Amino acid sequence: MASVIGAIAERLSQGGTIDASDAHAILDTHDLIAVGALADDVRRRMHGTRTTFQRVLEVHCDGVPASLPDALAAGEVRLVGCPPSAEAAIAAVRAASALVGAIPLSGFALADLQALAGGGTDALEQLCATLRGAGLQMVAETSVDAVNDAGAAIAAARRAGLLVTTLAVRALPADRGVSLLGLARTLQDSLGGFRALAPLPRTSSTSLPTTGYDDVKLVAVARLLATNIPSIQVDWALYGPKLAQVALTAGADDVDGVSAVETGMLGPRRSAMAEIRGNIEAAALVPVERNARWEAVGG
Amino acid sequence: MTIQKLADRVMEGARIDRDEALELYLHAPTAVLGGLADAIRARKHPDRLVTYIIDRNVNYTNVCVARCNFCAFYRPVGAPDGYVLGFEEIFRKIDETIELGGGQLLLQGGHNPDLPLEWYEDLFRAVKQRYPAFRLHALSPPEVIHLSRLSRLPVPQVIERLVGVGLDSIPGGGAEILVDRVRKLLNCYSKATADEWLDVMRHAHLAGLRTTATMMYGTVETLEERLEHVFRLRDLQDETAGFTAFITWSYQPEHTELGGHEATGVDYLRTLAIARIVLDNFDNLQASWVTQGGKVGQLSLAYGANDMGSVMIEENVVRAAGASYCMDEIEIVRNVENAGFIPKRRNMHYEVLGDPIFRERAVPRMLELAVARTDGDTSRSPEIDRYAARSAAEKAARRSSAEDKAGRTG
Repeated sequence: MASVIGAIAERLSQGGTIDASDAHAILDTHDLIAVGALADDVRRRMHGTRTTFQRVLEVHCDGVPASLPDALAAGEVRLVGCPPSAEAAIAAVRAASALVGAIPLSGFALADLQALAGGGTDALEQLCATLRGAGLQMVAETSVDAVNDAGAAIAAARRAGLLVTTLAVRALPADRGVSLLGLARTLQDSLGGFRALAPLPRTSSTSLPTTGYDDVKLVAVARLLATNIPSIQVDWALYGPKLAQVALTAGADDVDGVSAVETGMLGPRRSAMAEIRGNIEAAALVPVERNARWEAVGG
Repeated sequence: MTIQKLADRVMEGARIDRDEALELYLHAPTAVLGGLADAIRARKHPDRLVTYIIDRNVNYTNVCVARCNFCAFYRPVGAPDGYVLGFEEIFRKIDETIELGGGQLLLQGGHNPDLPLEWYEDLFRAVKQRYPAFRLHALSPPEVIHLSRLSRLPVPQVIERLVGVGLDSIPGGGAEILVDRVRKLLNCYSKATADEWLDVMRHAHLAGLRTTATMMYGTVETLEERLEHVFRLRDLQDETAGFTAFITWSYQPEHTELGGHEATGVDYLRTLAIARIVLDNFDNLQASWVTQGGKVGQLSLAYGANDMGSVMIEENVVRAAGASYCMDEIEIVRNVENAGFIPKRRNMHYEVLGDPIFRERAVPRMLELAVARTDGDTSRSPEIDRYAARSAAEKAARRSSAEDKAGRTG
């Protein structure tokens, strides 16, 4: 197995790429350090030590509050949850849009919007246009395995004026995600405009969760396979600070889901900002805060 | 010396000194540190076995006079939620441990002034009478020192008396950082100085006991002081060869007087890796899944660890400080195999006992670790009144109890 990884490393060092069979070989190996180093080399060639993160205020679409926290410093306000109807989705966007000011407003999973639209691509485009008119700026989650005919759906959302910048995975299929990472690469080739790929599944079995090795290797494979997508993203809240930080040493360069409000869970002596910055710096990387439009913000 | 040259020396099997270790710890990329640690692990354990033990982490009392400022577990003498477990409670915990395939208690507790050496002797004797094959991995060096002070007996004599009633081995708790500047800042200098901690282990090894060694990092120490700790352990291991394993974990700050924040996951993996590189005379390094979680716990196997520690069954100390991870035997085995290793059960001496128990017979699934006692249980240990009270609070409690009884019968 080591020789397989060695051969892949040799090919990558000469500017080559990996294919699906290499991806499977990497997922099969137990040489985690070598795999992580391979992906880290590619990540450093693309980004150096620069590591972006964004603070997100999540608002459930079923209960948009009357106001947002004072002095909110978020790179994105994100409507989460699946609204029961298109009308409910539109109402939630209108309510949230009135609150966010200059903060980008994202919302919903594209797969849920497809279901709400209830028809083909035209119906989806129409719904997206209405949501755009109500103030929505971008789709919050585009899981390539959950959206029917992802290419057509993403194109429809974009024609309606919504940004779709990040591709994600909702649940790992039997091939451990290689086909989905390949699909993400193909979508970038055909449509362009994607800034990030979040390869770690957004849902996981509670009785048989993924392991640390599984997660780190999948991040590494995503970095090595989808070299046409600038960033590999990990979710701070979903995967936890420790795993997310290790992923930054194995191909990831962007952290999503950092809380924009202090939950008190970290105690009074360390804010979420101090925590994320400290974690990135402890991995010998340089933190850069961004917003949902991928613009650097702050100092 | 460049990192590459240092790495080459480590790969050749050379022993590194303090300056070289610091250079690696400060400047080597994480992948390089991990690669070196993994190579040493492979050299020491070419069979790809990863071991674990089924035992239970029982804290017999939370009453403690040491008052370490990093500890969220202890209660001062006289506190309403202070407890001492009764012997029957401990027997019940042993029964549950045996049901899960375990054969040992990791028994540690606070420095309770009302538990004299005789209480421990009676407990150990009772356990061994009832469960002759059951192992007692018990009483960290500061507890031994505490008993030495209470009983006014020298440490070797305390160890001899405990061994005489069934002590099998000594856990490496209470080491924190073996540098007195740090110990003073953590308010744990008085419970045991660095030299005193090491001296208990030296006496234990001379008495024929095997012990583990630990390091809790991430409080107020410098990286140089972390390394000083590791080198002091290496020096003693050169002298006695009595340590079976090294276990490191990050300080858990929640609900502690010291506060602050926890060191990161990468910091843990780097610390584990440098320990594997420096501790060339230690065979075994444990993964601390209980503080790092199952995922980073499993990643430890790529950074020098060859042991997944304990199924644990019960844990009270780090839970009090905010960490509440749980891995039962099935989960540990799944993680070991997923990382490409062969899981084997072991005892405290790291002798392989066999394959996973759950593959031989059904054992109950464990979804969360047990605690010392359930919330609201304020019962008193029935044995404690057999021994003379030493603290004013305990004397007052007994007077009050006696008056209550007299009132009821009068």
